Amino acid sequence: MPTGYTGKILRVDLTNDKVATEPTKMEWAKQFIGGKGLGAKYLYEELKPGTDPLSPDNMLTIWTGPLVGTMVPLTSRYVVITKSPLTGTFLDTYAGGYFAPELKYAGFDGIIVTGKAAKPSYLWVNDGKAEIRDAKNVWGKDMFKTEELLRDEVGHKYARVAGIGQAGEKLSRIAGVTSDITRNAGRGGAGAVFGSKNLKAVVAKGSLGVEVPKIDEFMEMAKQMLWKDVVENPDHAGLITDGTPIIVDMSQDAGILPTNNWHTGQFDGYLGIDSDALKTRVFVKKKACFSCGIACGSFAKVRDGLFKGSSTEGPEYETLGLAGSNCGVKNIEAVVKFSEDCDRFGLDTMSAGSAVGFAMDIYEKGIITKEDTGGLDLRFGNEEAYAKMPEMISLRTTKIGDLLAEGTLRAAKAIGKDTEKLVIHSKGSEYPAYDPRGSIGMALAYATSDRGADHNRAWPVASDAYGDGDPWSTDGKAAICHEEQIMKSYKWSMIYCDFYGVSDENMAMYYTAVTGLPADADWLKAVGVRVWNLVRAFNVREGFSRKDDTMPDRMATEPLPSGKTEGKTVSREAFEKMLNEYYALWGWDEQGRPTKKTLEDAGLSDIVGTLDYL
Amino acid sequence: MSKGLKIELEKCIGCNMCALICSGSHVGKFNPSESRINVEDVFPEPGEFRLNYCTQCDEHPCVEECPAEAIKLDEALGIYYVDKEECTACGLCVDVCPHNGLWLDPSESHAIKCDLCGGTPKCIEVCPRKVISRGE
Repeated sequence: MPTGYTGKILRVDLTNDKVATEPTKMEWAKQFIGGKGLGAKYLYEELKPGTDPLSPDNMLTIWTGPLVGTMVPLTSRYVVITKSPLTGTFLDTYAGGYFAPELKYAGFDGIIVTGKAAKPSYLWVNDGKAEIRDAKNVWGKDMFKTEELLRDEVGHKYARVAGIGQAGEKLSRIAGVTSDITRNAGRGGAGAVFGSKNLKAVVAKGSLGVEVPKIDEFMEMAKQMLWKDVVENPDHAGLITDGTPIIVDMSQDAGILPTNNWHTGQFDGYLGIDSDALKTRVFVKKKACFSCGIACGSFAKVRDGLFKGSSTEGPEYETLGLAGSNCGVKNIEAVVKFSEDCDRFGLDTMSAGSAVGFAMDIYEKGIITKEDTGGLDLRFGNEEAYAKMPEMISLRTTKIGDLLAEGTLRAAKAIGKDTEKLVIHSKGSEYPAYDPRGSIGMALAYATSDRGADHNRAWPVASDAYGDGDPWSTDGKAAICHEEQIMKSYKWSMIYCDFYGVSDENMAMYYTAVTGLPADADWLKAVGVRVWNLVRAFNVREGFSRKDDTMPDRMATEPLPSGKTEGKTVSREAFEKMLNEYYALWGWDEQGRPTKKTLEDAGLSDIVGTLDYL
Repeated sequence: MSKGLKIELEKCIGCNMCALICSGSHVGKFNPSESRINVEDVFPEPGEFRLNYCTQCDEHPCVEECPAEAIKLDEALGIYYVDKEECTACGLCVDVCPHNGLWLDPSESHAIKCDLCGGTPKCIEVCPRKVISRGE
């Protein structure tokens, strides 16, 4: 067994109340590493196509990676991999904090949960052992209270808890998994998969540790890298001083800051929600995840006013954009409260922010009224009403809360009246906070992201809106998406944090230092191509193809009104051109399906027989 | 003046690098449970990190109370350390320490506490915010 892997996977069958330990399939780990890749392989092999994501048959899997728990910087994330109840696609959703190393120290590379418990339950994992326990004391409670109570129950003050608030229990398709109070595997509705299985949480405590070869040399290397490649790396400077909120001003300047449900790309109240507002009004202290020297996170607390006492970690840029400007909210204190309640009740701040922005839009248009909102005057910028929304969505109180809990697209379909055109999404996943009308590459990145619209698979906005590229030229955008999707696929399989600007050579060097297995940049790239094609094949097998790799009509038909993006749209022709180029780069057919040759070249010959179209 | 680590707690970001290198150098694997310095994250209330470690305080009740006389003076450094061969893991030192400065290792076979790595504490070199020093 190579070091870095525990060599054990925990199998949990909730229907039959059984736990078992099995060896990690190392022949798969050598091809797919861990995290995203290894989880995708297990899901592809074991999940029956067409499975309802909220049925007992869906697999809920949680993965660490070989570097987790070591001194390799910025490798403390876990990933929840399942079939998404929001999009119906493959879902991989990540969180940092402290849960991942704890799970590793408790002895497991991953956990695979199937079935549905007869009653609310939680999973207690401790030093190679696990048991399914009764969750009656925490079911119905929020995640802040749940963490506290479960730590008491297992008798470890710092047991780590990843679980769901009421949103997940009530099967909200925008419910996330909360760990360490403020860290979220937020996107895609993983929290609802927990809820559908009557699984409240996974609680981990471990003291088995992780061994590496030649530990003295390893520690010296890791120490040098922590200083040279992390703390003193100029690419990390903005993350160290500000964190992601620094992007608010950049997006405002570029005219791509989603505002009032994507009707404008600039927000006149942006100075109330930007990084300076955070630093001067609510900042308490910088906060890192385990093994991170950057500490992009800010613990923030509201000092006075309506939301006095509310606290959160962040808010991060996506929250400030989607739940700030996109809801017309111009005071960071209100966003802190919104973010806190999303953590408390277990909602994805991104989807929830988008959903509330949409609700405000249709409220102002008179499509919904106070009868639907429980009497709230849900105008853009009404902070008092806005701040009540995470609780209403999570508890499904009021008509609008209950509808939005299904995600914005399903809510619009239920409401009808042509509201679907107001939803800005791809595959049902609400767009992240970069308007493609001033960053055309993002239209392609969102359309081709494996879990529905997303910014963590490719981020062409860095060069086209924030850099010196052309935000409206399609040139090279397919290539950026292609290259970054490959890179992110191996980076998420290792599992590094997005914010470590680590070179391929160093990534390979760390992997070899931890596992003793050979690696180089070419091998990493091959793994990335393999993982992305495998996930694409998963989605194709579920019925996804070109028809689903879409951009909402408003991006093509509704020009932005001000700033650098004034008058700008993304034309249908430009979008389709990028998509054609993108499929060609990947070696997929015109319907966006991997060809037999592409799969064989990627080392995926064994799945060719599983795909009907081949 | 005590001879232990000096900590500027307000600069701590909770990354646990100190606990990683401490366990790596003392027990040959990465395992914060076996570290001699322990990071607590106490959020959202009161919203702070705490570092637990032996301050090498002058009163050292652990030394006075140890029935096995297992906490001994390192004369070269002028600090106290746990002789794990003689420690019976009774836990009395843990109970009497006013600083949460020591605890039992996960196997509960002996108490563990900071020994300043023989004079050059490794945690100092790896703390990305320079929270830890010798205070000179």
